[in-house]
Amino acid sequence: MVDAANTVTPDRQRAELAALSAPAVLFTLAMIAFPVIYTVWLGFHSFTSTGQQSFTGLGNYSKLIADNEFWHGLWVTLALYLLSLVLQLFLGIWLAMLLFNAKRLPGIVRSLFISPFMMPPVVAGLMWLVILDPSLGAANYILQAAGLPPSDWLASPIWVIPTIALIDTWQWAPYVALIVLGGLQSLPPSVYEAAQIDGASAFTTFRRITLPLLLPTIVTAVILRSVDLLRFFDIIYITTQGGPGNASNTLNIYGFRVGFEFFNIGYASALMLTLTAIVFGAVLAFNRLRGAVAW
Amino acid sequence: MSGNAFATRVAVTVVALGAVTTAAGAADFDWKKFQGKTVTFLANNNPVSQALLTYKGDFEKLTGMTLKVDGYQEQQMRQRLVTVMNARSDEVDVFMTLPSREGEQFAAAGWYGDLSAMSKNQAAKDYDFAGLSQALLKAGTFGGKLTSMPMNIEGPILYYRTDIFKKCGIEKPATIKDVEAAAQKIKACDSTITPFVSRGLKPAVAYTFSNMLHNIGGSYMANGKSNLCSPKGKEALDTYIRLLRDYGPPGVVNYSFQQISALYRSGRAAMSFESSNELRTVMDGGERLKDTGLAPFPAGEAGLVPTAIGWGMAVSAFSKQQEPAWYFVQWATSPEVQKRMAAQGIAPPRPAVANDPDYRKWIDEQPVRKEWQAALDVLATKGSSEVGYPIVANPQSREFIGQAVQDLILKQKTLDQACADADKGLNELIAQK
Repeated sequence: MVDAANTVTPDRQRAELAALSAPAVLFTLAMIAFPVIYTVWLGFHSFTSTGQQSFTGLGNYSKLIADNEFWHGLWVTLALYLLSLVLQLFLGIWLAMLLFNAKRLPGIVRSLFISPFMMPPVVAGLMWLVILDPSLGAANYILQAAGLPPSDWLASPIWVIPTIALIDTWQWAPYVALIVLGGLQSLPPSVYEAAQIDGASAFTTFRRITLPLLLPTIVTAVILRSVDLLRFFDIIYITTQGGPGNASNTLNIYGFRVGFEFFNIGYASALMLTLTAIVFGAVLAFNRLRGAVAW
Repeated sequence: MSGNAFATRVAVTVVALGAVTTAAGAADFDWKKFQGKTVTFLANNNPVSQALLTYKGDFEKLTGMTLKVDGYQEQQMRQRLVTVMNARSDEVDVFMTLPSREGEQFAAAGWYGDLSAMSKNQAAKDYDFAGLSQALLKAGTFGGKLTSMPMNIEGPILYYRTDIFKKCGIEKPATIKDVEAAAQKIKACDSTITPFVSRGLKPAVAYTFSNMLHNIGGSYMANGKSNLCSPKGKEALDTYIRLLRDYGPPGVVNYSFQQISALYRSGRAAMSFESSNELRTVMDGGERLKDTGLAPFPAGEAGLVPTAIGWGMAVSAFSKQQEPAWYFVQWATSPEVQKRMAAQGIAPPRPAVANDPDYRKWIDEQPVRKEWQAALDVLATKGSSEVGYPIVANPQSREFIGQAVQDLILKQKTLDQACADADKGLNELIAQK
C-alpha cells in the first residue's frame, strides 16, 4: 500500500525546487540589479569635481540633449558601428564560405583563420598602434614600397574611423565566419541537390538558397556584433583615446572620460544609461527581425 | 662602473648606514611600533614606483609590517582611486599622486590625509624633512595642509643629437627661436630626419606646452579668467604648433612619451622635447649615449621657466591606519631610499642626495648623465609646477589646451578661433566650484 503522506506531488516538488534555488536566484538578481539601480540613482545626481553631490532629477538628461559632445559621440558611435558591421559581415560570410568549401584545409590553417578574436583587445590595440605608426610602422613602409603615398592612419581625423573599423574587422570577422560556418553546416543538402538538378549556377545557388537560409544565423551574428560594437571601448582607448581632436570620441569613450577623468559620475551615468538604451533598442529590433526571417 | 654595480655598492653602503642610523634613531623613534600591521599602497606602475618597490622587502624587515601593493597603469590607478574614495573606503592607505594635476581637486574633495603634523612630530631623526625640495613640498600643500611627500623631480627637457647638429653646422640652441631655426636647417640638411618632436596627444600636451608658455612669458590665468588668447598665449600656441606641424613627425597628434622616445631612440629625430624621466628609455641599448646632448628647454622672452613636477605619496583621509601608512611614506621618501632610487635613474627630490659622492660618481661616468643632472638642477631651482590651469578641474583644463593645439596642427581652426574656443570652455571651468 502507498503511504499517502510520503507521496511527492508535482506541485510539492516544484515548491521544494523553488525554495532550494531561491537563494541562488535572488543572489544573481541582486548582483545584476544592484549596479543597474545604482547607475540609475547616480544619473539623477550631479557631482562636482570635488565629489560633492546633489539631486538633479532629469537635469543630466536635459544637459545631454544640449551637449554637442554627446551628439558628436553618438554620430561617431553609429558611424563606427555601421562601417565595422558591414565590413565584418561581408568578410565573415566570405571567410565562412571559403572554409566550408575548402574541406581539406589543415586544422592549423583553420585555427589561424579564427585566431585574431582570441587575442586580448588591449594586445591587438597595441600591436596595431605599432604597425600603423606613421613614422616607424610597417603599414606605411609597405605602402611606400608599393609606390603608394603614406597615410596618417589613426592620426588623421578623416581616416581614424575607417582605420579603427579595419582593426576591429581584422579581429572579429573570423568570429562572424565561425557563426556563419556553423549555419552553413546545418543547411539541408537536399535543397542543394535539387538546385544542382535544375542547373542553377553557383552564384544563383548562393543568392537564392544559401543566403536566405542563412539569414537567421546572420541576424544572430549581427545581434552579437551589434552589442559589442555599440559599447566598443578597448581598442579605441588604446589607440587614440578618442582623438585626434574628438574624431573617434565614441559615447563610451566620452562617458569614461567624464566619469573617471573629470569625476562627473552623475553625468557619466546618464550618458552610459542612454547608450545602454540604444543597445537594448538595437537588440530588440534585431530580435524581431530574426523572428521574421526564421524558417 | 655600471649602473648595477653602483646600485649594489649603494645598497651595501645604505644597509650599513641604515643599521647605524636606525640604531641611533631608535632611542626616540621605533620603526617596529606597528609591527604586524598591513599597509595597502595604490601604486602607478611607472619607473618611480618600480624603483621604490625593489626595496619592498627592506621596509617589511625594518618595520615588521606587511606592504600590500595594488599596482595599475596611471589612468587605471586613478580610476580605482576615484571608486575607492567616492565610497569613502579604507581599502587604500597610501596612494601615488601628481599634485600638479589633481592636487587642488583631491584636496578640495578631502581625499588627502594631513601630513603636516606627522612629518614634524613622527619622523625618524635621519628623515631630514628640511632636505626635501621646498618647491615640491609647496606644490603638495593645499590650504596650509601638507598632502603628499615628494618621490622624485621631473620635467620636460630638450634631447638633441650632437652629431646631426655638427653635420648641419648648428650650434646648441640658446633660445626658442634658435630651436625653430635649428629645425629649419635640419629639414634642409637631412630630409630623412624628423627635426623636432614633442607631445601632440590631447591630454598629454599641457606637460610640454606649459614650459613653452612660461618661457615666452605667458600665463594661464589673469584676473580670474583664462588668458590663453593673450598675445603671449597666442605666441606660445603658434610657436608650439609650428614646431610640431612644420618639423614634427606625421601623426604627431597621437604622440605622447612612448612614441617620442621610440622615435628619438631609433635615431629618426634630431630634437625631442620630453620628460627627464625618459633618459633611461632613450638610452636603452646605448645607441644614443654618445650622440645626445641634454638641456632645459631654451629660453624665451621670460627666460628659463622650466616645468618641474614630481610624484608624491599621500595618505588616504579615509585610511583607518594613518600612522602606519605614514611610516611607509616616511621610509619611501627617506634620504637613504631616495639615494638608492637615484642609482636607478629616478631624479631625487633632495638636493643633498644629488650631491652624494656615490651618486656624483655615477653621474660623472657619462657626459650625458652630467647634462641630465645639470638640467635637473635648473628644474629644481627655477621650475614651475603649473601644468594646465591652477584650478580644481585641472585635468579637464588640459583637454582644452590639447584640443586647441590639435585643432591648429590639423589646420581645423585659425589661431584666433582655436584659442577663443578654448578660452570659452576654460572660463566655464574656472567658474565651476
